[in-house]
Amino acid sequence: MINLDPRTRIFIVLIISSAAIIIKDIKPLVLMLLMTLLLCKLFSISISGTMKKLRKLWYFFIVLTLIQSLFTHSGDILLALGGIRILTTAGLEAGVSIILRMSIIVYSAMIIASASSMDIVYGLTAMKLPQEIGFMVLLAIKFLPLFREEFTDSIIAVQLSGADLRRIPLGQKLSLYTYILTPSVIKALNRARYISLSMESRGFRAYPTRTCYRKLKMKVADYFTILVALASTIAIFSFN
Amino acid sequence: MSFYTIDSLTFTYNNNNNNLFENLNFLIEGNQHIGLIGPNGCGKTTLAKLMLGILRPTDGRILLEGTNIRNISLSYIGSKVGYVFQNPDKQLFCPTVWEQMSFSFNYGSQSSQKNIEDKINYYLEIFDLAKYKDASPLTLSRGEKQRLALASVLSRDVKFLILDEPTTGLDLLRKKQLEKCLLTLRNEGKGYMIISHEARFLDRYVDKLLTLGPKGVDVC
Repeated sequence: MINLDPRTRIFIVLIISSAAIIIKDIKPLVLMLLMTLLLCKLFSISISGTMKKLRKLWYFFIVLTLIQSLFTHSGDILLALGGIRILTTAGLEAGVSIILRMSIIVYSAMIIASASSMDIVYGLTAMKLPQEIGFMVLLAIKFLPLFREEFTDSIIAVQLSGADLRRIPLGQKLSLYTYILTPSVIKALNRARYISLSMESRGFRAYPTRTCYRKLKMKVADYFTILVALASTIAIFSFN
Repeated sequence: MSFYTIDSLTFTYNNNNNNLFENLNFLIEGNQHIGLIGPNGCGKTTLAKLMLGILRPTDGRILLEGTNIRNISLSYIGSKVGYVFQNPDKQLFCPTVWEQMSFSFNYGSQSSQKNIEDKINYYLEIFDLAKYKDASPLTLSRGEKQRLALASVLSRDVKFLILDEPTTGLDLLRKKQLEKCLLTLRNEGKGYMIISHEARFLDRYVDKLLTLGPKGVDVC
């Protein structure tokens, strides 16, 4: 993996995700996705691993695609039932573009997610974002895994208390999940609060300015990568 | 047939190339009182989590009453074995102390529902928690949480208990109460395994001491 400045990752993700939202046609979206996957390879991100890890999210995207396809009625009819249009060319196009757009956004997000959270904070601070905001981002990044961990622990504790989640009726199961949701959120928030207290007890925000042991420096490889990503995106736009 | 059969158990965490322990072999009977000791990081809590089916062995197998725990659900294991987590925060998930105590009776597969309230009240009194019945477990102090975790597990009708550092955060009086509960368990013919660094405490309440190391367990 090439060792690039965290700002390079942030710039690239900004470029790619903005383009994914703006581009409407399928062909340029396919090209954008290919470019994103290429960049993922550059940052040693496993494409199949990401696919597996976010399996449930893909199911959600597929449902979105189906809904988009079924409810767009313009264009030529591809499938009809009686007099009702089920699938049209425009619907299919809309569905495919949704899944392409989501894939681009997810894979580009992996470029940031694969960096250490501290690196991203250093990057944001070096981009003149107030350090408080940078560290808030760090806490926000940490919150989701913390919440997931708390929720998983609660589910394990629930099962070890003898409750068989597979046998409990759906209604009771849902009420059980809601039951443990609030304590899990509170526990995750408490842990985030302890992290912020620990940071403050170590002098965070004690002075208006803050020095950093690690100095970020953009190298030729960083500028080159950003330029290539930007030029490729512009080329894809022209293709659009 | 032993209650627990640990057979050639090897475990490695995903992010580590070295085995935490390898080829562990030992038996635990349902009415035995075991102490598990070992230096920090040797895998005592990990071993407990493996015995409860929270973690999966890298190699080897663990049998609970003759059945490989890979093939049984956490809730089934939970109906046979009570576990007090090392960190009580991980164990307390209900909105109130009373609900935490009554949870396994409401949702678990406890056969006898008789005198549940009396039983819960008894353990709340023993661990001096009756006044917090309607309070959220999250508002309790570390010691109170530990007491609640112990009370909720001890009140359940399980065959065997695994207590991970149960004396942490307990004052002298509450430690004495815990000791009383352990004696009651012994009298009821129930077994337990205590993970602890307190040699004096273990000396009094266990019959067998297992010392865990990377190459196996020594039995004293």
